[in-house]
Amino acid sequence: MEDLVCPLAVLPTAGGDGEGGGSGSECVSMAALDLRAELDSLLLQLLGDLEELEGKRAVLNARVEEGWLSLAKARYAMGTKSVGPLQYASHMEPQVCLQASEAQEGLQKFKVVRSGVHAPEEVGPREAALRRRKGPTKTPEPQSSEAPRDPLNWFGILVPHSLRQAQASFRDGLQLAADIASLQNRIDWGRSQLRGLQEKLKQLELGAA
Amino acid sequence: MLEGAELYFNVDPWAWFEDGKASLLTQQDYINLAPVVRPFRNLKIHLQTTDYGNFLANQTNPLTVSKIDTEMRKRLCGEFEYFRNHSLEPLSTFLTYMTCSYMIDNVILLMNGALQKKSVKEILGKCHPLGRFTEMEAVNIAETPSDLFNAILIETPLAPFFQDCMSENALDELNIELLRNKLYKSYLEAFYKFCKNHGDVTADVMCPILEFEADRRAFIITLNSFGTELSKEDRETLYPTFGKLYPEGLRLLAQAEDFDQMKNVADHYGVYKPLFEAVGGSGGKTLEDVFYEHEVQMNVLAFNRQFHYGVFYAYVKLKEQEMRNIVWIAECISQRHRTKINSYIPIL
Repeated sequence: MEDLVCPLAVLPTAGGDGEGGGSGSECVSMAALDLRAELDSLLLQLLGDLEELEGKRAVLNARVEEGWLSLAKARYAMGTKSVGPLQYASHMEPQVCLQASEAQEGLQKFKVVRSGVHAPEEVGPREAALRRRKGPTKTPEPQSSEAPRDPLNWFGILVPHSLRQAQASFRDGLQLAADIASLQNRIDWGRSQLRGLQEKLKQLELGAA
Repeated sequence: MLEGAELYFNVDPWAWFEDGKASLLTQQDYINLAPVVRPFRNLKIHLQTTDYGNFLANQTNPLTVSKIDTEMRKRLCGEFEYFRNHSLEPLSTFLTYMTCSYMIDNVILLMNGALQKKSVKEILGKCHPLGRFTEMEAVNIAETPSDLFNAILIETPLAPFFQDCMSENALDELNIELLRNKLYKSYLEAFYKFCKNHGDVTADVMCPILEFEADRRAFIITLNSFGTELSKEDRETLYPTFGKLYPEGLRLLAQAEDFDQMKNVADHYGVYKPLFEAVGGSGGKTLEDVFYEHEVQMNVLAFNRQFHYGVFYAYVKLKEQEMRNIVWIAECISQRHRTKINSYIPIL
């Protein structure tokens, strides 16, 4: 009895034990072989994704820590009350937005884009708003008067270097967060694919027996 | 503080300050503030054994860095008011000059808060107590610098500093920044003139300190203006017109476009060359850090002379550095960066 749980058993089972239809069971074992190969590559992909996820998480943590430390340094240089909740409004316009797109069936990818700027055309025909831009227009779309201002300026124009560093660290962190979300989605999707394939394999081999 | 001490000021100002100087934290105190099991527990306990006493006793948990900072400020303000209540002219004018810098900070805080649509009450709570004045609550109503002057600040000690700042431009972020720096420039120049005219040991002690302050502002404004919308011409109008850098250094500095060019200007001055060389290195010191260290050295030296007002200025500035140190340590504790704790500047 082959081990149904372990997809790494690449060795083909003997094509039947000589009983049953010869070519029929050969087909099945070929199919099983293909399936197992697919399972293997999927598992390898999954493990690779997990490793990437761990790596990206560590970098995100480092960036966020750096950002907070740089903020503390900025407070040291500017004064504790000059870098805090007094400097930002309770309602903010985001500088970046998260864009979700579906690459394959059920698999969502996330991308961070600057808000106020139209996303590139290749995102796809689902973005109806974009298509308006492609059509003829007599005047270019009016620049939104609410162009998001650089949050750095909430703290003044002449801000110390540490505050800029904090902004850069948090920006990097943002991009990483989107990548991590995409990766996590891919991993979940991969796992469900894996389960599906294992089911199929089980069915196939049950059918053959 | 000794009761009759003020009568003896002209005989022995040291007596007045004996207590004051002893209340600055020592190196051992700083080491003991370092962490522990519960954030800030050690900090609170150890500060209780110093002159700070139970200043955090009434604070509800959780204790935040901001609360610690606010309580320290209140304490400093209390000590300062004590000096002021016992002072006569011209010391009282000197002390008023000292409060002007905090007033400027408060005005700017209120105006920025108005831009962000914050409530006045929220901002008033965070204003520096040393810079309090009665017209503060009305500051957020002003729409232009002229408005601000005519309607609100004309009765305050800040009025004389407005001569270069009058304009009808709306108060957006850039103009508020320009206003802040121009006010501060006028204030420093007026304070410097006052000290110089007073003459005597006060001038000997205060003038170099204020000259350093002017030069420091010129360097920091230049450094922070790289990559911003501030033009070189505008930048030059913000430099105080006194100090070692005035006038040639300032002219060169106005043309600088990056840190290295700034460093070249500083290399012409014997005092600033070593300071700039200390920037970076293994400790990752910034220019601000290096300047704070130099300021501490100058302020500590003020206590070596007698019969002058500089001791009051030096005391308040050293206390401020101490507050910065404690806030830094507290931030490191709350962010769990044990290794960075030692980046404070020791005073005693």
